[in-house]
Amino acid sequence: MSFSDAQAKSQANKNRTGPGIGAHVQRFGRFLSGMIMPNIGAFVAWGLVTALFIETGWLNWGGDGGVAADSWIARIGGWGEFDGAGLVGPMITYLLPLIIGYTGGRMIYDQRGGVIGAVATTGVIVGSDVPMFLGAMAMGPFAAWCLKKLEALWTGKIKPGFEMLVDNFSLGILGAALAVLGQLLIGPIVSQLVEWAGEGVDFLVDNSLLPLTSILVEPAKVLFLNNAINHGVFTPLGADEAAETGKSLLFMIESNPGPGLGILLAFLFFGPRMLKAAAPGAAVIHFFGGIHEVYFPFVLAKPKLIAAAILGGMTGVFTGVLLNGGLVAPPSPGSIFAYITFTPPGGYVAMILQVALAAIVSFAVASFLLGFGREAKREDAPQDPAEAEQPAPTPVAAQ
Amino acid sequence: MPSVNGSDVKKLVIACDAGMGSSVMVASTLRSKLASQGVEVVHTPVSEIPADATVVMCHAGLAARATSTAPHAVVVPFSIFIGDPAFTKVENAIKNGETLES
Repeated sequence: MSFSDAQAKSQANKNRTGPGIGAHVQRFGRFLSGMIMPNIGAFVAWGLVTALFIETGWLNWGGDGGVAADSWIARIGGWGEFDGAGLVGPMITYLLPLIIGYTGGRMIYDQRGGVIGAVATTGVIVGSDVPMFLGAMAMGPFAAWCLKKLEALWTGKIKPGFEMLVDNFSLGILGAALAVLGQLLIGPIVSQLVEWAGEGVDFLVDNSLLPLTSILVEPAKVLFLNNAINHGVFTPLGADEAAETGKSLLFMIESNPGPGLGILLAFLFFGPRMLKAAAPGAAVIHFFGGIHEVYFPFVLAKPKLIAAAILGGMTGVFTGVLLNGGLVAPPSPGSIFAYITFTPPGGYVAMILQVALAAIVSFAVASFLLGFGREAKREDAPQDPAEAEQPAPTPVAAQ
Repeated sequence: MPSVNGSDVKKLVIACDAGMGSSVMVASTLRSKLASQGVEVVHTPVSEIPADATVVMCHAGLAARATSTAPHAVVVPFSIFIGDPAFTKVENAIKNGETLES
């Protein structure tokens, strides 16, 4: 297979999903992940504080360190004599949902949308007993949308000199109303939904069904829905779980760098010439840099390799279920360094096996599907007929 | 179909889904290659391509969205993130003043 052939295939593949539908799904996914991704740095800060300072954290040797209950470590981590205080709880309960609500509001209505998004999100936070990520992702944009619609009623009709008064009080009054509504009504509802979602995840875990999610996750991932799935779904659900239990396996379903690494290594050994040359650089960027996008084109060029990604992904998740694996915070980007940083004490064997077994299975399946190099030999040899099958009217200038 | 002469390109926009990962990587590669041409290389989410963009590069899987966000820009899709011929094509067009079109 030549490169342009690969490109034609991926193009054809894209058209098969129907014009626009894929783009709509991507757009909605972008809306969800767009609230989370700019704030990942704050998740990292929270993850570091958590990993170090909680009672079962690193500074207390996973709970066996004998750190005193009145020590400064307990004070930061919020345990022992400082139960209910500390940094960890307020960061995940207030800081993270608030900036998510702010970002969600800002996407709809700029700075003012962000402000009212944060105000309204405060309501759902205090109206619920779990960290309100999903609540923030709903309330932030909703509040901003309400403000936008409300202000559209009197845009251009305000007497000069009264704009600031009207602006501040319209945001203030609507924000106060939405915050109250959030505490009394929306918070409890979202709280219940999150509880059900958590029970759903528990059900999947208890019945060893969680690996089946890979069947959906891996194909969606290479269609550039990776951020949508990871940060739109797994990051908020996982953060709720991690706040309760100290870690979550949900962080590792989409972000496991193992399956992609296996596929890239298979291309390195058995791929056609064009893709073989790009594989080593891509493998380094993928595995250490955590930019998973670099392996998607390899799968799009040979769509049957999605089977390798699925089986590798399932292996990783299954290993995680078996060994009770999980990370304390969302590893983003999905680099092995992020994995190492956010592995809880005592979780390294599970984490390394999850990544390594996923990579091995995906490498084995991908190598098999590439015919251990036979297919590449066949394709590299004859002159390339791909030019003839280029889809002419598509907006692709790169041929 | 929008088209532009390479010598008129002053800003090259690289777009990806989040505007934080792969586009940053591609942009930093191209930035060093195009620095001598006085071309500014920026990265954005594909949903937030600036209105004044003339040439946008993104992965083929995101090209439909790029075109709808920036209908007046030349969208040049690429398929692999490292060493794609599309990068060379845009580079040469800018250096030699060749025409680029969607």
